Amino acid sequence: MTGAMTGAHRTVDAVWKLESAKIIAGLTRMVRDVGLAEELAQDALVAALEQWPAAGVPDNPGAWLMAVAKRRAVDHIRRSQRLERKHEQLAHELERRPEPEQDDVLRLMFISCHPVLPTEARVALTLRLLGGLTAAEIARAFLGREGEIAQRIAAAKRTLAEERVSFDLPERSELAERLSSVLEVIYLIFNEGYSATSGDDLMRPELCLEALRLGRLLAELAPDEAEVHGLVALMEIQASRSAARIGPAGGIVRLDEQNRGRWDRLLIRRGFTAMLRAREIGGPPGPYVLQAAIAVCHAQARTADDTDWARIAGLYEALARLLPTSVVRLNWAVALGRARGPEAGLALVDSLAADPSLRDYHLLPGVRGDLLARLGRNEEARLEFARAASLTGNVTERAFLLRRADEIEVDGAPGTMLGDAAQDFLGRDGLTAETVRSYGQTLRRLRLALGDRMPLESLTADDVARVFATSWGGAAAKTWNRHRSAVRSFGAWASLDGLDAGLDRRAETRPRTEPIGPAELEALWSRPGLPLRELVLWRLLHESGAGVTAVLALNVEDLDLDDRRARSGDAWVSWRSQTARLLPRLVAGRARGPLFLSDRRPSPARAPQPADLCPETGRRRLSYPRAEHLFKQATRSLDPAGDGFTLRRLRPRP
Amino acid sequence: MRYLMMTKASDSVPDESLFTEMSRFTEELASAGVLLATGGLEPGGVRVTSSGGEISVTDGPFAEAKEAVAGFALVEVRSREEAIELARRFRKITGDGESILQQVFGP
Repeated sequence: MTGAMTGAHRTVDAVWKLESAKIIAGLTRMVRDVGLAEELAQDALVAALEQWPAAGVPDNPGAWLMAVAKRRAVDHIRRSQRLERKHEQLAHELERRPEPEQDDVLRLMFISCHPVLPTEARVALTLRLLGGLTAAEIARAFLGREGEIAQRIAAAKRTLAEERVSFDLPERSELAERLSSVLEVIYLIFNEGYSATSGDDLMRPELCLEALRLGRLLAELAPDEAEVHGLVALMEIQASRSAARIGPAGGIVRLDEQNRGRWDRLLIRRGFTAMLRAREIGGPPGPYVLQAAIAVCHAQARTADDTDWARIAGLYEALARLLPTSVVRLNWAVALGRARGPEAGLALVDSLAADPSLRDYHLLPGVRGDLLARLGRNEEARLEFARAASLTGNVTERAFLLRRADEIEVDGAPGTMLGDAAQDFLGRDGLTAETVRSYGQTLRRLRLALGDRMPLESLTADDVARVFATSWGGAAAKTWNRHRSAVRSFGAWASLDGLDAGLDRRAETRPRTEPIGPAELEALWSRPGLPLRELVLWRLLHESGAGVTAVLALNVEDLDLDDRRARSGDAWVSWRSQTARLLPRLVAGRARGPLFLSDRRPSPARAPQPADLCPETGRRRLSYPRAEHLFKQATRSLDPAGDGFTLRRLRPRP
Repeated sequence: MRYLMMTKASDSVPDESLFTEMSRFTEELASAGVLLATGGLEPGGVRVTSSGGEISVTDGPFAEAKEAVAGFALVEVRSREEAIELARRFRKITGDGESILQQVFGP
C-alpha cells in the first residue's frame, strides 16, 4: 500500500495488521504451505479493500477475513488437480470448522525464523507474516528497496517449501536452538529500530514497537521460557529510555547523561515484571536474561553515580563466557573502566584492538577515546573519537562523536586541516554556483565524517573510500560518480594524488560516451576567446579519437608535427588539419616536457614525478580531472542535461 | 504511538456474559502486546480546584456524573486507525455508550 491511502484503506490496513498473523497461521495449519497461506490471506485482504470501504468494517473482521481466505483456499485447491491429498485434508479441516489454535501463531514464528533461511530473510518474513507489514513498509524501515525485499520474501517462502519445513512445533531436542533463532530475529528488529545502523534518524520507533509486540506475544505463547521473558525485559527497559536518549538538538545522549526523569516508568515496570517472570522460571541465566539484568541495574540507579558498576561488570563477565563476542567484551571493558578505573578498562580494550571483527566497529575507538580522555591522554583521545566518527554510518551518532572530539583541548598547531582546505577549495575564483553547490555536498560529508580538524596530510584514500561506502554505497551510479569526481577534483587541487584510489567509477545506465553532436561541436569551435591550450586539446581529442589519458600524456619531444602523429606509450595518436594548424603555437618553442601544462606551479610539499614537470616553465602536466572540469564548464550551456560534456565524448562519431 | 481510551459511565447494568467477553478481549489485547495498562475508576472521586491561589477540595459525587470517566485503557498502537479499530471492538462488547480516544504524548 502506498503513502496515499484513503481513510477506508487505512482502516483496512489497521485491521489487517491486527489480524494477519492469526489468519496466515491458521491457514498454514490447513494448507501446510506458508507461501500459499500468505497468498490466500492476501486475497482476503484484497476482498476487504474492495468491500469494506462501501459496506463498512464487519463486526468481526478477523472472522470475515478468515472466511474469505478459506473460500479462496477451497477454490484454489479445486483448480489444482495434482494436490489431491491436500484437497482431502483441507476439506476435512473445513468440515471440522476448527477454531484457530493458540499455538498456530507460535508455529508461524518458528517457521519465519527457521534456520534454513538466511538472517535477513528471517527478519523480512517475520515482519511480513507476523507484523502484517508490506514489502514497501519493510523496505522503508530498513532503508532497502521494495523490490529487493519482495524478492527476499518470495525466495524465503520458496526455500521453506523446497526444504519441506514442518508446521509442527520443534522437538524438545531442538527447541532451544529454534527458540534462540526467534529471539535473535526479534532483537535484530528491535535494534535496527533502537540504534538505526544507517540513515539520518537515530531511531525508527515503528520497528521498536513491532519487536516489542512480537516479544510480548511470544512471552504469552511460550511462557515457560526464561530467555523469552529476558528478551522482553531487555527491550522494555531499553525502550523506556527512548525519549531521554535523544537530546533537544537531535543528538544522542549518553546513558550517564540522560535525564532519568524522562525514562518511561511504565515500560520500566513492565521490564521488571518480565524479569521477575524469568527469575521465577529459574535455571542458569541465558544471554538475554543477563543483558536484561544489566538493563535492570541501570534502571534501578536513581542517578548515574548510583550505578552499581561492580555488579554490571560481573554480569558482563558472565555474559562474555556465554557470548565471547568482541562487542560483549567491549562493553565489559566499559563497565570495568567504571568499576575499577580507566586503566583497567583500557587494558581490556587494548586486548581487543587486534580483533579483525572490530576493525570497522565505531564503538571500539569510541570507548577507547573515552577511557583515554579520562586518563588525560587528550591527543590520542581526540584522534580516536575522530576515527570512531568516520566509522559510523549514522549521521546523528557521527555528530555526537565529532562533538566529543571537538570538546577535547589539544596543544600545538597542526598543519592545514580538512575544514580549511575544503573552504579554500570551494572559495576559489572561477567556480560556478552550481559547481560550488555540488562539490560542497561532497566535501560537507567528508568533513562531517572525518572532522574539520583532520590534518590534510593524513587524509588517505582509505578514509575517503570508507566515507563513500557509508554515505553513498547504495546510491545511484550517477550520484556516486558525481561525488567521486568532486573528490578527484579536490585531490588534484590539493595535490593529494590518488585520493580517489579506493573509488571505482560506476557504470551508469545512461550512455555517457555517445559522441557530441555536430551542431554542439560547431557551436563549441566557433566560440570566441577559447584558450589555446583547451582548443588544441579538444581538437586533438576529436580528430585523433585517442583516449584522454593518452593525449594528456603526450610530451613535446614525442610530437611528429610533419607526419601529424605522436607516440603515447604503445599507441600512436594522429591528428588532422585543425590540430596541426594550432599545435606549433602551443609548443611555442619548447623542446621537451608535457605538451599540456597546468596553469599553476605545484606546491613544494607535493612535487610531481619529474616526467610530469616542464623543465622550462616548472609547471606540471595538466591533470585529467582538471581538464575534464574545464571542458564540462565550457560545455554546460550546450548539454541538454546541464551537466556539461565529458572529454571522452569528443571522440568522432563512428 | 499511545492512545488513552476513556469510557464514560453508562446506565446499563453489566451482565455475566459481558464480563466474560470483556475479560477475553482485554486478555487478548494484553497478550498481543497492545494493552499497556487498564483500570476502572471509582464514581465521583475528589475534585481539587485552584482559583486565585486558593485550593479547594470537594468530595464527589458530582452533578454531571454522566460525563465522568468510568474506566480507561492505555494502548500502544501502530496508527490512529488501529486505536479506533480497538475502540470499535470495545464498544461492540459494551453496547450503548461513549468512549473518548486521545493520543498520549511523552513521557
